[in-house]
Amino acid sequence: MSDSLITIVVIILVAILMFVFPLMTVSDRSDDTSQLVVDTSVADFVNNVRTSGKLTEVQYEKFVEEISSTGVAYNVEIEIQQRDETPGKKTTQVSASAVSDANDAYITKYTAQIMDELDANHEIALKQGDFIKIRAESKSTTISQQVSKFLQFGAANDTYAIAAEHAGVITTNGK
Amino acid sequence: MKIQYLAVIFIIIILPISVILNGYTRSQVETLDLQISYDNKLNNATYDAVKTFQLNTINSDTSDLANSKLTDIEASANIFFKSIANNFNMAGYNQDVLKDYVPALVYTMYDGYYIYSPYTNTLDDKNEVEVIGNGGVEKKSDAQILHSGNENATYKQGDKISGIKPYISYSCRYKKGNDDFVITYSLDNYIVIQGMIGGNWVYDSGYLLDNVGGTGNNMTYRGVPINASENLTETVYVPNEGLKTLPCIKINGVKYYKDNDGTWFSIMNEKKYKQPENFEERTTAGIKFYQKAQAFTYKVRTTYGLSDLTGEHAVDENEHTIKEKDENGNDISNNNKFGNYPIFSDNSNSIEDPNSNFNQQRLAVIRYTIEKNLSIAINNYNNYSGGVTTNFQMPKLKEDEWEKILNNVSVISFLQGLNIGGKIYNGYSIITNNVTNEVVNEESIYIVTGDNKYHTANDKDLQSNTNIKGAYLNLDFEIKTVQKSDGGNLTFIPRRKKTRRHWSTRSIRMLF
Repeated sequence: MSDSLITIVVIILVAILMFVFPLMTVSDRSDDTSQLVVDTSVADFVNNVRTSGKLTEVQYEKFVEEISSTGVAYNVEIEIQQRDETPGKKTTQVSASAVSDANDAYITKYTAQIMDELDANHEIALKQGDFIKIRAESKSTTISQQVSKFLQFGAANDTYAIAAEHAGVITTNGK
Repeated sequence: MKIQYLAVIFIIIILPISVILNGYTRSQVETLDLQISYDNKLNNATYDAVKTFQLNTINSDTSDLANSKLTDIEASANIFFKSIANNFNMAGYNQDVLKDYVPALVYTMYDGYYIYSPYTNTLDDKNEVEVIGNGGVEKKSDAQILHSGNENATYKQGDKISGIKPYISYSCRYKKGNDDFVITYSLDNYIVIQGMIGGNWVYDSGYLLDNVGGTGNNMTYRGVPINASENLTETVYVPNEGLKTLPCIKINGVKYYKDNDGTWFSIMNEKKYKQPENFEERTTAGIKFYQKAQAFTYKVRTTYGLSDLTGEHAVDENEHTIKEKDENGNDISNNNKFGNYPIFSDNSNSIEDPNSNFNQQRLAVIRYTIEKNLSIAINNYNNYSGGVTTNFQMPKLKEDEWEKILNNVSVISFLQGLNIGGKIYNGYSIITNNVTNEVVNEESIYIVTGDNKYHTANDKDLQSNTNIKGAYLNLDFEIKTVQKSDGGNLTFIPRRKKTRRHWSTRSIRMLF
């Protein structure tokens, strides 16, 4: 009787060791690859917008397609800080087209407003000195998270497994 | 013992060990990932700072005047902190919190550098002025007016403020016998000498060049005759008149253009100012450059008698010879910091060659100045670091990084004290500004040949291609933005036909 019990325990342990742990390792590696793809895509997207001065619907859709190819669904947040110049405080030697006077204020636009504007006009023109920040975070659970949850009996962390963020200043005028 | 029992015992022993090792390795990997991520964020923020500085100086007519440069640096530092705050939002930091982790920003320029870091606001407490107080007219100093209890003051006495510290030149003091003078070096072979030499006060400056021959308007450099027929023009936006390509000259940092009717004007703040006098078009700038360099080099060696000046004559503020220091900061008695070779004499190399004694001395002085002052600034930051308990220290830069700093205008940023799991982050970033009118080097010049192909100045293809049409500065290919009279913006590329430096097209061709 005890022999049978030990045998069953051993079989269960071996099954976990031979199947679950390799699955967890491979799915972790897969998550790492997805993280790399998302990091690169977000950085490329931000750099394209910074160097062209424009955020277009085509660029956005291509970006979403790239990150979705990892097999995970993502929440994409875009934040644009548009520089509101203060011409009244310019000194005689500062050109009106200078980037970032110390007295500048910024008007911030968030994802919902940006998506509305993209739907309406298909592109948003930015100018030198504006800021763009893009963040992509996974909203569905990955295999690695599911396996961890199974091993920890449902007590695993439910927050995002894959997230990437990139920000930078716009270096050219879009119009 | 049955195999099942052995298997269970094996699993009981191995599983915890592998889980713990796995956990440890994962934490090391995550720390490394975080370090790389922070390095990238710091590089991005520094790049944004350099780009902002570049854009502001390209679009400004007065970018090489000191107070305009200070404004540009303030704007650049502003963008750096904004960019790094945006990049770190994932970690929950905001701009003011992150400032506590940035001990210094360094902006290296042509002949010196600025450090942007916190300092204690110290106001004048001696000179008094009349102010109207509660008891009528009173005499008070600035420190008494802006004391720490004054709620109306923006910056009070003793406040911690971040700002640009005074300009530090790449200077070194030398004492040779009764001569006591300072030489200020730059990123190329231009120097300034000031002090007592031979009992006389000297204040002189110029370029150092060997291999200059000829006299009058027949100058040669390395045997190549210098062309005297330059027509220096620039494409400029004239308010209310549009884009024009006009002859131009630069005097005391201001550009003057010759209009089609023969009158001269300058442009300041998008307005045209006609000049009362006419200037002479500079068609012989190249020849004058070589004449002056030849004369100055002779003066330094012969008139001022500095041909036997060595690094041993370099002294610090206490008039002690500057020595190498050991690990504890003590002087190593027989090792001069700047060597014992003659600075302005070299039997094996021309003075402008990269391996010349002069160039070795120049690089050593610039590096010593930056290292010394930056170490002090970062160490002093420990007095201002707010809630951060890290001991801030200057990191050791690698030789290839020094190579970048010593030959280019650059921005160096430091980020220290952030917790990244297994250790404390201590990073820095060096981004060079290759598109600047501060310094011209080989990478700044493009040469166009007859087949309309562009080459860099040291391109080997130029050796076989003798049909050189012209040369341009890389700055001329940067998009310039100006505000039009009607309020809109105009962007254009101000490509000039020839460079304003001493390389004539024939001389460049014959040099390769």
